[in-house]
Amino acid sequence: MINGDIFFNLAVRSVRLNFLRSMLAAIGIVIGVVAISSMGMLGTNMQLEVKEQLSATANTIVISSDTVRMGPPGFTPSSSSSSGISKTELTKITSAVGSNGTVIPLYSTNGEFTINSVAGRGEIYGIDPGDIGKFLTINQTYGNGTTEIGTGEVLVGSTLAEEFNLKVGTRIRIGSFSSSSRPELRIAGVLNPRGTVADGVSTDNAVVVNSNWYTNQYGGKDEWTQVNVIVKDVDNISDIESTIDEKVNTNAKTPSVRITDASSQLATETSTLSTVTTFIMAIGGISLLVAAVSIFNVMMMSVSERIQEIGILLSIGTEKGEVRRMFLYESFILGLLGAGIGGASSLIIGYSVVDAMLGTTEYFFLPASIMYVPAAMLVGVMVCVVSGMYPAWRASNMDPIDALRSE
Amino acid sequence: MTDTPVIQLVDVTKTYHLESGDFTALNHVSLDILENDFVAIMGPSGSGKSTMMNQLGILDVPTSGNLYIGGKDVAKMTPLERTHMRRDTIGYIFQKFYLIPLLSAYENVEYPLILKYKKRDTSGRATAFLEAVGIDREMSAHRPTQLSGGQQQRVAIARALVNDPKILLCDEPTGNLDSKTGYQIMDILCGLHREGKTVIIVTHDPGIAEYAKRTIRLVDGRIAES
Repeated sequence: MINGDIFFNLAVRSVRLNFLRSMLAAIGIVIGVVAISSMGMLGTNMQLEVKEQLSATANTIVISSDTVRMGPPGFTPSSSSSSGISKTELTKITSAVGSNGTVIPLYSTNGEFTINSVAGRGEIYGIDPGDIGKFLTINQTYGNGTTEIGTGEVLVGSTLAEEFNLKVGTRIRIGSFSSSSRPELRIAGVLNPRGTVADGVSTDNAVVVNSNWYTNQYGGKDEWTQVNVIVKDVDNISDIESTIDEKVNTNAKTPSVRITDASSQLATETSTLSTVTTFIMAIGGISLLVAAVSIFNVMMMSVSERIQEIGILLSIGTEKGEVRRMFLYESFILGLLGAGIGGASSLIIGYSVVDAMLGTTEYFFLPASIMYVPAAMLVGVMVCVVSGMYPAWRASNMDPIDALRSE
Repeated sequence: MTDTPVIQLVDVTKTYHLESGDFTALNHVSLDILENDFVAIMGPSGSGKSTMMNQLGILDVPTSGNLYIGGKDVAKMTPLERTHMRRDTIGYIFQKFYLIPLLSAYENVEYPLILKYKKRDTSGRATAFLEAVGIDREMSAHRPTQLSGGQQQRVAIARALVNDPKILLCDEPTGNLDSKTGYQIMDILCGLHREGKTVIIVTHDPGIAEYAKRTIRLVDGRIAES
């Protein structure tokens, strides 16, 4: 239908006549479409990956003592739990969970360590050796490791091991580089990568030590940083959380522990990623604004160069709306060109970016990810058509006599 | 020729407001042009010929007075009605041909049909009119820039005629042509007049004006002789 329209044909011929100029203007749209769709796809792929990783620990309840409650101005957060989860609270948690899950108390702090005389900083977890194997696994490619670590042994995360070329048997020192006391520990195993997890134990860049060694080194015995509960049936997770809350947080106004699970963390993480994605896409959108100016400029040039032709059209009975349509078709064609090339490029560039940034393209072709390509193409075409509105309006409102006289 | 005025100017004045002051291009002009008339409008430069043509072609409206075309007061018509009248009632032939450069000769002639019927011409009307003015099928595929001046003017005549207008407005139609081609074009216009068209021609050339049945001389925006 549109192809048989003489005004569409005129627009196509005008674009062909000024092909180089048209293509240069369309490049702006190409860049904008690529920027928006690639960033959108990257953000979505990140969200999907985080979602999957967090789902792996969806059966874990995290109970922490670092409650910071919001309140009215002047409100002072409770400090009753600032020293960690007490033995009494742990007993209550264990009793609340009963046979429905496994309770794992753990200590953690952010500390320094030295590997091969290189100073590093990361999380140090203190966990009972009997509990480590319940949720952490050993990567045997680094040596014949075990989770049953003694007080002089340590487990290191996969990223640390890779970065410092660590193996079972290598020794590392824990403590500040300037500190006089920097005990040396033997690596008893390298942990498998965990990625982003909802149970609060991100071990990839961390070390895990025996809980007895931890309390001897840092103090705070029986004042655990957090307690993880791995429930047997994930469908019961809400009930178990309620039971723990009832037993431990006896004072509803000043709860002593915070109880979370993967769902709340997932919501926070995806919300943050979504905000970041939108922000990055907005930056990509700026290139579309620049493209809009370029398209506007080209369309104004097209109108200026064809004033006499517009005069002819108007003087022999072409309606204003038809002249407008001709120029809007022209900007639409520029948009289609830019969006088409941009869409195809987005698939290639987006795929490469996602692969390079995330190391996986597992989620790339899922509808939630790939839909950014047609969406960005649509935005690109719309930007072009909107940019062409004023030039089209200007063309259609020319005085035919003046237009005919122009050379 | 009937006694019905197809065009009627009643005390028409056209004033342009310029920075240097007001300029009256047409000054209280009254004129009747009857159906199937053949009128030549002559006059020196600045006498108001082009302004008169713009009024007759309803590209412009009078500052005062009334202009009736086909009995309708142009000033009372909406812009869209005027556009449709230009498309359906008036055929334009310009000195510089003014063909649409992006379209072929055939498409230039087909264009007014598309404007009127909102679809491509399948009746062969455009081809028939091109052949009537001596443009064959091969030539009609060419763009205007690939045609000679005489050929372009023939295409322009075919374009002006294709919607079967009552009035043909010709602004120096032979001005850009050699004399031989110019007379061929005039022969075509005379033939159209014989077929019943009302032909109005603006010219400097007294030889061209001799083809007309009636000559109007304009001087300083007034009719000096009719």
